[in-house]
Amino acid sequence: MDTTLQPILEASGLAKSFTLHNIDGRTVSALHDISFAVQPGEHVTLAGSSGAGKSTLLRVLYRTYRVSTGSIKFHLRSGRVVDIAQLTDVEILALRGREIGYVSQFLAAQPRRSVLDLVSRAGVSRGMSRTDAREMAALSLRRLNITEALWDVHTAVLSGGEKQRVNIAAGLISPPRLLLLDEPVSALDPENRARAIDLIADLADAGVAVLAVFHDLDAISRLATRVIRMAHGRIIDDGPAAEVLPFLQPSDVQP
Amino acid sequence: MNHDDLLSVPSPVVSVNGLGKVFGTFDPSMIERTGPTTGTARDAFSGSIVAAWDVNFEVAAGEALGIVGESGSGKSTVLRCIAGDQPATTGDVRFTCHEEGTVNVLRLDPATRRRLRIDKLSVVYQDPAEGLALGVTAGGNIADPLTAAGWRNFGRIRSRAAELLERTEVPLDRMDDIVRNFSGGMRQRVQIARALANNPAIVLLDEPTTGLDASVASGVLDLVRRLLEELDLAVVVVSHDFSVIEMLTQRCIVMQHGRVVEEALTDQLLEDPQHSYSQKLVAAARA
Repeated sequence: MDTTLQPILEASGLAKSFTLHNIDGRTVSALHDISFAVQPGEHVTLAGSSGAGKSTLLRVLYRTYRVSTGSIKFHLRSGRVVDIAQLTDVEILALRGREIGYVSQFLAAQPRRSVLDLVSRAGVSRGMSRTDAREMAALSLRRLNITEALWDVHTAVLSGGEKQRVNIAAGLISPPRLLLLDEPVSALDPENRARAIDLIADLADAGVAVLAVFHDLDAISRLATRVIRMAHGRIIDDGPAAEVLPFLQPSDVQP
Repeated sequence: MNHDDLLSVPSPVVSVNGLGKVFGTFDPSMIERTGPTTGTARDAFSGSIVAAWDVNFEVAAGEALGIVGESGSGKSTVLRCIAGDQPATTGDVRFTCHEEGTVNVLRLDPATRRRLRIDKLSVVYQDPAEGLALGVTAGGNIADPLTAAGWRNFGRIRSRAAELLERTEVPLDRMDDIVRNFSGGMRQRVQIARALANNPAIVLLDEPTTGLDASVASGVLDLVRRLLEELDLAVVVVSHDFSVIEMLTQRCIVMQHGRVVEEALTDQLLEDPQHSYSQKLVAAARA
């Protein structure tokens, strides 16, 4: 990894708490003093037991959760730097898609739309021409083992594993510069998981920065260039995958 | 869009500033006696209802904003003031598609306001009887805004009506049936077809699927969502139903007792609501 590169993302002093007004007004702290940076082309995996704050962190970075304190500096394609914690809602919408993407383990509810249409639309929304998007969508679907017989069916009729692969294809086509992946391969059998992981591995070569949560060690060892280990909402370890992986506990990769 | 400067956000088509609507006599002192802090929109002294107050938002082309809240929160009042169905008590509402946004449409004379409704802005109501003439055919209902906009050629009006019915998935052989004989879902589709007749820049949807069977509602929702993606409309959706808001909008405001208590990205509102009222609404929707 070329460390002279500009980071794409720099989080510093990030904290998140939830005030539950209707449950005796209690405050639940989910993240404390999170600081780290991600470089383009880097694949950072978040590890830690259930409740460590991994998904919370991804959601804070995508601004699905509001930031309580701290800053998230994001280096735009244009070279300008914005603080995600301070952007307006409209600015966040402009940032999402081409700059930052989020792929969860579920395919969001879609209107009646065919598989191929859904994936190619995602490409068009990130600036591809219709023709290129269709070609690329077909390529990704093939690589993910979604047979052509399913391309023109409505996504609602797909199985859980098929939906998840369609979701990956849509999330990865013409990828944004930073991708947040929250257990994107959790529902896949070993063969299809391996195919999905291959597709995710290509992102790093394309210079995409990836911040991911996986629940299987195979995926982490195959993909991660760096591992950030979290516990109780804090970062407890952050280093090259080769150094951190040997110390991971089985509970660190539990869903 | 300029790819080098992504955060130059799209400019708004609709700008709403300080919109307020009071039913009954108005006196500024009633503002602090009403709203979420006092738990009511009704002023105990005068009996007036502060149905909406200090409402501010903007909507760009290709964007849909949701207004969420329970019955009586003021969300439909806001929509009706913007549409011109009701006179607002105060506020400034501008459409960039009218005089380049230099004019507060709330102050327009009724005739100009009506023209705006024909040419630039459409409303889809919860109750099709408000948006359609139930005793008239589907084709006739669509022809109405077209003729109001100056269409005279019968053949062209017929073919435009057919095109719109096709787009909203109403079987063409029902074009000459009177709308009263249509099912609820089909009436909503005709209402949507009529709303799109003159290619409006702004579409306001007031509980478009409330009262329909779940499967019919999802079909109508589906249609609306696809139209939003395909046409570059600025849309405001009023609904108490979070599944509608989630499906159609990117941003929302939450209203309670006539006031806006929260503004958020739609995913943010569902995952991390801030105000106690929003938290209550989201928890109820999840239950």
